[in-house]
Amino acid sequence: MTLLPHILNGLTLGLLFALIALGFMLIVSVMEVINLAHGSLFALGAYFALWLIAPELAGFTEVADAYAGLPIALRYGLALVIAPLGVAAVGMGLEACLRRTYGKAPLYGLLLTFGAALVLEEVIRTVWGPTEQHLPLPDAINGATLFAGIIYSKYKLYAAGFALVAVFCVWLFLEKTPYGAIVKAGAHDSEMVRALGIDLGRLRMLVFGLGAALAGLAGIVMVPIWGLRPHVGIDIVIPAFLIIVLGGVGSFWGAVVASILVGLAVGLTGAYATEWSLISMYLLLILVLTFRARGLFGRKSILEN
Amino acid sequence: MTTASLAVVAPRRAVQWITPPMLVLFAVMASLPLWITPVGLYDYLAVEVAIWMIYALGFNLLFGYGGLHSFGHGAYFGVGAYAFGLVQLGLAESLWLGLLAALVAGAVAGALVALFVSHRRGIYFALMTIAFGQVFWFVAIKWHGVTGGEDGLLNIPRPAADFGFISFDLANNRSFYLFVLAVLVLVVVLMWRLVNSPFGRVLQAIRQNELRARFVGYEVWRFKWAAFVGSALLAGLAGGLFAMAQESAYPDVMSVHQSGLIVMMTLVGGGLVSFWGPVIGVAVYFVARDLLGAFTETWLLWYGLMFVVIVMFRPEGLAGVFHDLRGQFAAATRHRGVSRSAAE
Repeated sequence: MTLLPHILNGLTLGLLFALIALGFMLIVSVMEVINLAHGSLFALGAYFALWLIAPELAGFTEVADAYAGLPIALRYGLALVIAPLGVAAVGMGLEACLRRTYGKAPLYGLLLTFGAALVLEEVIRTVWGPTEQHLPLPDAINGATLFAGIIYSKYKLYAAGFALVAVFCVWLFLEKTPYGAIVKAGAHDSEMVRALGIDLGRLRMLVFGLGAALAGLAGIVMVPIWGLRPHVGIDIVIPAFLIIVLGGVGSFWGAVVASILVGLAVGLTGAYATEWSLISMYLLLILVLTFRARGLFGRKSILEN
Repeated sequence: MTTASLAVVAPRRAVQWITPPMLVLFAVMASLPLWITPVGLYDYLAVEVAIWMIYALGFNLLFGYGGLHSFGHGAYFGVGAYAFGLVQLGLAESLWLGLLAALVAGAVAGALVALFVSHRRGIYFALMTIAFGQVFWFVAIKWHGVTGGEDGLLNIPRPAADFGFISFDLANNRSFYLFVLAVLVLVVVLMWRLVNSPFGRVLQAIRQNELRARFVGYEVWRFKWAAFVGSALLAGLAGGLFAMAQESAYPDVMSVHQSGLIVMMTLVGGGLVSFWGPVIGVAVYFVARDLLGAFTETWLLWYGLMFVVIVMFRPEGLAGVFHDLRGQFAAATRHRGVSRSAAE
């Protein structure tokens, strides 16, 4: 048996995890909030995309009919742009609620977003129904292909590539643009940033929006692999949370490395014991945290208080 | 630190075994069977409420008194439920042995996890407890041979409460409720003594300032460990009772959702500021579930919204609101008294 497909699976999963974890980390480092609703924003992104790709509005108006007649690839592309924007708007709304918890113990942010996660999940259940759904995909990224001598799912290759590009864009944004510099400075010392005349409230709102949009984007790309059901949010937020702590709070490369590690751990355990593949990441976390309390690349952070 | 915190250590005086609020709780709970059906609810709800009160009281030892926010407490509840079921199905049909096993299993599981987490605090503590909770949940789902997988253990018998000279049949929900109530009374009294004991005071000191407690000379992690074990023990006991109530044990009670629910109940009730917070929170949750649930399918949505609003505006919970109202009332009467004496 060759391990290559499992390693590929692991890498794909790791890259997708990185996409989720980065949005999560942006919010943690600038807002000092553990956003437990991140997974629900992820799910929301996928459900918004479902609306856009497979609209149930045939026969309403001519415009709707014309839209439904567009090629699926175009609708998919539109969903990739519009759904994350919708999720960003929801995220900004959540941030407005969160404002009351700033300056208090980090527990309150955690509790508030936990409640928000519950609410969002119930909204999803009400609007889209409790059953598992299927996100239609364009033919170009469906089916299997021959890759490095093995037959591999085309979609997984696409997802891995997409995640790689997205992670690279986040890196470019954070490291090479003045906005990224402000975000990083805000994470480092928010008081100083405010003293320099930057509107901290707006910065936080935009960062939360950006993080939420990344979650939504990850949702659209990942859901065809993980399945689309209302509680997918909780299933995904825990690994994201775990990756951040594993990599060290506030470290970009920590998050990326930890994502790949977790992905590989899950993929390789899957090779030997499919049933137990998801537990390996928890064991990995417990192992690392027992010896390195701040994760792989972490420095002292607000979250320890 | 937050402005809201449990009553600052009072001057030393003898702690009572029984307090007036306890009597109120016991009176309400004991009279439940008389009026619960006429108001449109049912006996089994009372059983559930009493079991979750035991669970929540134990949870608040850690959450409210220790300031240690466990988000994976369902694990110990579930472990207790499985232990009870396994004893009944595999060993002997005995109530006492089953409950003992539930309590010990919860405590042992808690003791093991606490070895890892009791050196942590804040969000890292919360995270580690989530991770461990997930591990237990996962094992419960996957270890078919022992736990029965997703379906869990079914047809767990409810053995009679045999005191040697007299034996009570617990098959009917009403008699079972009285048994759970007896356990609850015991737990309330013992917990009250515990949180007001020197141990409880040290725990509160650790919550207020861990560093200071360490400098005073307490070995902080031992206290956190012990609080975790005590809390897991009660969760195990409650889990055992829950397995009796449901006549089954299943992994769902160990999920993140269920672990989160106990946090929500405790916080909504006011566990951060009051001994009675968890008790109030459990009652509110179950009554809300049944009353709102009768009107709308999406009652959890409304409960979640209520929770969000409470965290935003009143993190001290309902107990905090009562406390403030009483304070205002007292201030108002004092004010009236003062103006009257001024008029004289």
